[in-house]
Amino acid sequence: MAKRHGKPVRKRSLLKGGRKRVLVVLFVPSVERDGTTPIGQERWVAAALAMFGRVFGGATAYPKAKGIWRDDERDGVLVRDEPVVVHCYTTPADIEDPGNLVELGSFCRTMGREARQGEVGLVIGDEYFAIREFSGE
Amino acid sequence: MKPHLDMDKIARGLRAERTGKVSAGGGYFGAMQLLAEIETRFRVPVGGGRATDPKWTERRLVPLAPRTLKRLEAMTEGVKARSGVSVEPMQLAALLLEKTTEQLDEDDVKDLVAVRRRSDR
Repeated sequence: MAKRHGKPVRKRSLLKGGRKRVLVVLFVPSVERDGTTPIGQERWVAAALAMFGRVFGGATAYPKAKGIWRDDERDGVLVRDEPVVVHCYTTPADIEDPGNLVELGSFCRTMGREARQGEVGLVIGDEYFAIREFSGE
Repeated sequence: MKPHLDMDKIARGLRAERTGKVSAGGGYFGAMQLLAEIETRFRVPVGGGRATDPKWTERRLVPLAPRTLKRLEAMTEGVKARSGVSVEPMQLAALLLEKTTEQLDEDDVKDLVAVRRRSDR
């Protein structure tokens, strides 16, 4: 009688660090925090894609979104912005890698400082991370 | 299956602050939905600084007993340790004030004032 073999076991080592199932989202603003001065958004989108490509293996930038919000701290003035959302899928191992986090954090701080932001927003998995301290790079 | 991530380690590595949970979806519509959620929930004041509830436009000095402030500080530290959500003691005080004033009726207020007067004597 022929010996039956079970289903081949899929080894994790075939997919180093696991599947790319962690979504990292970066928001690239269109204006400085005064709500009016443009920041050279295309340059920052290109730099973000290059960083995500180098560190995590790839990313997608979606077309500009149009946003508006009422600033109640300035007599309800309407502030318009056109952020670009950049998506990057990565592995749990890669997003927890200290070297990768240093590169990602460094990019966010550089953008925050040079584009004069109040905050740079990053979503990893299902959490929102705020970077507000831009010194050190 | 949802991957288990060490969010504190990620926050430390990024030198970022964990601000709260969001429902992040993939694709264009997921991106737009997430953006709308972020812009609504985590709006940073134009002058920079901490994200806050844009409806809180009034500012008043509220006298507090030191033990009340200590209690608020302990509660906010507990919230941060358990959920990673960062909130200032006086932001928590404002939240509690908002919730309590919504729940109290006129009789509750009369009772509160009466108890306070008795204890002041």
